[in-house]
Amino acid sequence: MSMYRLNPIRSSFLIPALILILIFVVYPIFATIMISFNINVVPGVDITNKPPSLYNYYKVVTDERFINLEGIKTHTFPMGAIVHNIIWLAIHLPLTLIIGILFAVYLQYVKGGSIIRSFIFIGMVIPMIVGGLLISFSFDKDLGVVNILLKAVGLGSFVKTWTIYPDTALFSLILGSVWLWSGFTVTMYSAGLSSIPREVIEAAIVDGADFKTILFKVIIPLLKPVTLTVVAMTILWDLKIFDIVYAATQGGPGGASTVLALLMYEYFARLGDYAMSATVATILTIIIIPVVVLWIKATLHGERK
Amino acid sequence: MSTTASSKLLVAVAISLIVGILIGYGIGYFTISPQQPSPTTTTQTPTEKVTLTVIGPWAGAEMKAFQQVLNKFMEEYPNIRVEYRIYRAEDLASILPPQFEAGMAPGDVIFMWGWWIKEYGDKGYLMDLSGLVNPDEYIKGIFDPVKSGNKIYGLPFTAWAKPGFWYRKSFFQQHNLSVPKTWDEFLQLLDKIKQIPGIKAPIVTGDSVGWPISDVVEHFIITFGGPDMQLKLIKGEIKFNDPRVKQIFQNYIIPLIKKGYFSPPIEWTKAVEEWWSGKYALYFMGTWITGMVDDPNDLGFFPLPGCKGVVMGTDYLFVPKFTKHPQEAKLLAKWLATEGQRVHVGTHAGKFATWLKVSIKDHWAPMRMVYQKIKTMTPLPDLDDSIGGEWQKLFWDQLKLLWVDPDKLDDVLNTLTVNFPSK
Repeated sequence: MSMYRLNPIRSSFLIPALILILIFVVYPIFATIMISFNINVVPGVDITNKPPSLYNYYKVVTDERFINLEGIKTHTFPMGAIVHNIIWLAIHLPLTLIIGILFAVYLQYVKGGSIIRSFIFIGMVIPMIVGGLLISFSFDKDLGVVNILLKAVGLGSFVKTWTIYPDTALFSLILGSVWLWSGFTVTMYSAGLSSIPREVIEAAIVDGADFKTILFKVIIPLLKPVTLTVVAMTILWDLKIFDIVYAATQGGPGGASTVLALLMYEYFARLGDYAMSATVATILTIIIIPVVVLWIKATLHGERK
Repeated sequence: MSTTASSKLLVAVAISLIVGILIGYGIGYFTISPQQPSPTTTTQTPTEKVTLTVIGPWAGAEMKAFQQVLNKFMEEYPNIRVEYRIYRAEDLASILPPQFEAGMAPGDVIFMWGWWIKEYGDKGYLMDLSGLVNPDEYIKGIFDPVKSGNKIYGLPFTAWAKPGFWYRKSFFQQHNLSVPKTWDEFLQLLDKIKQIPGIKAPIVTGDSVGWPISDVVEHFIITFGGPDMQLKLIKGEIKFNDPRVKQIFQNYIIPLIKKGYFSPPIEWTKAVEEWWSGKYALYFMGTWITGMVDDPNDLGFFPLPGCKGVVMGTDYLFVPKFTKHPQEAKLLAKWLATEGQRVHVGTHAGKFATWLKVSIKDHWAPMRMVYQKIKTMTPLPDLDDSIGGEWQKLFWDQLKLLWVDPDKLDDVLNTLTVNFPSK
């Protein structure tokens, strides 16, 4: 396995990049974890005035904004930031995967597909903070395209400003984020589709396979590596979602659409409680790490195959 | 990968991590100075032109009015150029603390809530402005929110009032409506307005981060609980779940929401347009609305019948210690708190002067009309602006929740009580 042998001369080229990574990535992560335990990382700089302990973790997990047992029990919002993130993931991930794959397949064989694809991609290229504002306008009672569509299809009774009601605020953000993120999934699947040899599909057609069989028995299995990436990236995106919520609802009404990253931001920027903010950040990292590890493992496994 | 190669890789990663942590720690230790703000230095008035940045919340028509003030200053001090940037106080509350921690400030003169200025003045991030102006020349008690011991961290600019429900005189004439004198007449008025074709709701509810709803709620509290209740709520002497407070919500606010007299919250500037165009008849808003409409002469307002107090508030400004031009920034701050007020109240800003050397004759005509109507009422501080902090945002958010789900009254009042800041 000569490829893993460390050649001192070759390795020295890594040093500048390594130093930057160590300073700007590794050290801040280490410092954040330390601060979450109320340990000041630089002597003389009192980032936290509390004695070292696990108190911040206790405070975060018992905070109703983090998890609201009453809301969970009664199925009413707010249920707490972590539950909102999970709901986000549970709805957004499958929807975005289905939309991504269906659109990619459809647009592959439709005239002008690339133009439509670039329209879909617009959701991905606009800044998410603008995306958040667009979502709040889209669900507005009078101006929103969603309500106009609802009226058009005879569902006028559902017309309201979705983002201001606790039972619909989170769902409107999730649906809006499906639109924003679909550009990514469609593009990824389109790239994946173009790498599938045409002969494979043609052979399936010659063998008499219908569209459903080709889709489920040929295309989807061959797109597995793309799916892995899309799933991992979507999970990461859902867990660290912030800007859309900040711009559209600020986590309201009554905390009904608060998410973990917003909670972290509020501790940091509004309350100036850096230790609590670091605690939420650490919890968020702990949740994210298994996803990243599984994704890397799956990717490496695929490459070896 | 062989076991030996894996072990080597792991050792290399572990060493890299340790080295990284040590390097980062070392850099942090030697480069990050303890968070003591640098001392105020004074500079001579430069011969070269100096550019100052002023940050305030005003956009649109309000910005145009404020720009007139800055233009006047630049006329008087041609060696100082002033740039204006818009940031809402809610956003500044998030932006400024990290900037201060880093020894920076995005502006030289910044407008912010009074409680916030005191808090961050005490933390050592703001310049002490005591001695710049004579507090005796101002409305009594106006320096209290920005004063800490002998130090004054903020100066008052002009003031606004939230006097009641605004309406278009022409709309009232057209539909034969009249200003109510009793609560029953107010209810009859709302009912009558609701019957008018094309009306979405009698009262439009403004929204942004939630402050317009808090204003209307405060007006109900002052009307039915008296000015004293407002003051006691601010001091924490009465709790929000107190039966006396609850009954105001239960008997007056909630029935109006449930009957659909209030619209759902809509963005407050959009609400101005829709109200002006006749989709709504009444709008509870501050005096700055006078500068936001096409014809201020068509404006009328009325407080709820029996209301004896009016919420008045001041826009405070401060100078951060990290300004590069402390001398010029202080000069501008002083000018804004004095002569700048005279200019501002003469524009269409919809503001009152807090500097007593500005007479009522200096004010824009519609504001003189407002002044005549509210001069007998007790001026009161804004409830959420006075309490501030995280609770302020919670208050706005909970009231928005109440507006769309009035059955959550008990939850809302309990949440506001439980989270009220302890002294």
